[in-house]
Amino acid sequence: MKKVISSALVGTLSLGIAFGVSAGPVEDQAAFQKYYENKFPDTPTADFANGVYSILPTAREQWEAIEEFPPYEIAIEAGEAFYNKTFANGKSLADCFGPDGAVRNQYPKWDSDRGMVVTMELAINECLTANGEKPLKYKKGKITEVTAYMSFNSRGQEVDVKIPSDDPRALAAYENGKEHFYTKRGQLNFACADCHMLTAGNLYRADTTSPGFGHGTHWPVYRSKWQSMGTLHRRFGGCHKNIRANPYKAQGEEYRNLEYFVTYMSNGLTFNGPGARK
Amino acid sequence: MRNGLKTIALGLALIAPVSFAGSGTTAEHIEAATAAYKKLAKESSYQWTTTVKAIKAAKKALEAGDDKGARKLAHQAMDLVEATRLQAKIESETWRMRVPK
Repeated sequence: MKKVISSALVGTLSLGIAFGVSAGPVEDQAAFQKYYENKFPDTPTADFANGVYSILPTAREQWEAIEEFPPYEIAIEAGEAFYNKTFANGKSLADCFGPDGAVRNQYPKWDSDRGMVVTMELAINECLTANGEKPLKYKKGKITEVTAYMSFNSRGQEVDVKIPSDDPRALAAYENGKEHFYTKRGQLNFACADCHMLTAGNLYRADTTSPGFGHGTHWPVYRSKWQSMGTLHRRFGGCHKNIRANPYKAQGEEYRNLEYFVTYMSNGLTFNGPGARK
Repeated sequence: MRNGLKTIALGLALIAPVSFAGSGTTAEHIEAATAAYKKLAKESSYQWTTTVKAIKAAKKALEAGDDKGARKLAHQAMDLVEATRLQAKIESETWRMRVPK
């Protein structure tokens, strides 16, 4: 029994040999991005926004072919109609997010009044409920259509998540997301970082894991496995189920903070959603 | 790397101590496993899907009259709770070492 415990502890500790405690978000981000640039030297930095296709030439060819007739196109059209639909009170989503909803680069953001991270999906539902409309479900369906439209109109915007230095609660939310990313969970004992950092680019059965650098840029996505559109938080939940961990609530604090962290790590890349993934 | 991860996963699944004595009814064992699971859920954000499955399977087996199978599943659920607790303890101390510098 002692031998097994030792194996578990030594294995866990050995993963951290080349790593150590970082100072703060800016230093974390620089080290994070450098890690991937060193791991995948053939990938131009800006290309990490294309996820696994930035490191897998054969899959990229297929993906580029799919992008010629993108499976998310219908969602964009439906999202545009919903975006411009007039509420019962005469207003619409355009009153909250402007005429074309090109606000992807404003989210996720820290709301200092409420002391919480606000994502684009959350902001959409808050706009709906503030105008007497029903909120949308957070993982799939209508929410992905609206965000597909808004993300499409936001393509090319730079990822520039801010962590205000004058509000320690923002740093705490970032740290919470960071802890989540690096913490092993589930019976399979995996952290986000295990698949998307330490072994990014490796095969897990028939699939190659994507680099964590670039996560958060391309949502929502049409995923072939789902045969439908889904949000980032839907994917978070799917990852957790894969490692036999109970998923958290979509748009709950845990996943909003995780989104805050992973998107901040991709600062400098460009938003390119909606996307198509395997 | 993959062998290392497998070793850790296997280690965590196996190192849980046997927390039950042989006494008590099977229903009590299932209840104890459920209570332990709920207690852990309150204490930390770590829960495994397999624990819930084992508890549900134990209840189903008991209803079907399979006392021996139900008891085995209840013990399995309790072991999973203990393994989860150990994971939470280890991770609270080690996650920072994975942050690149």
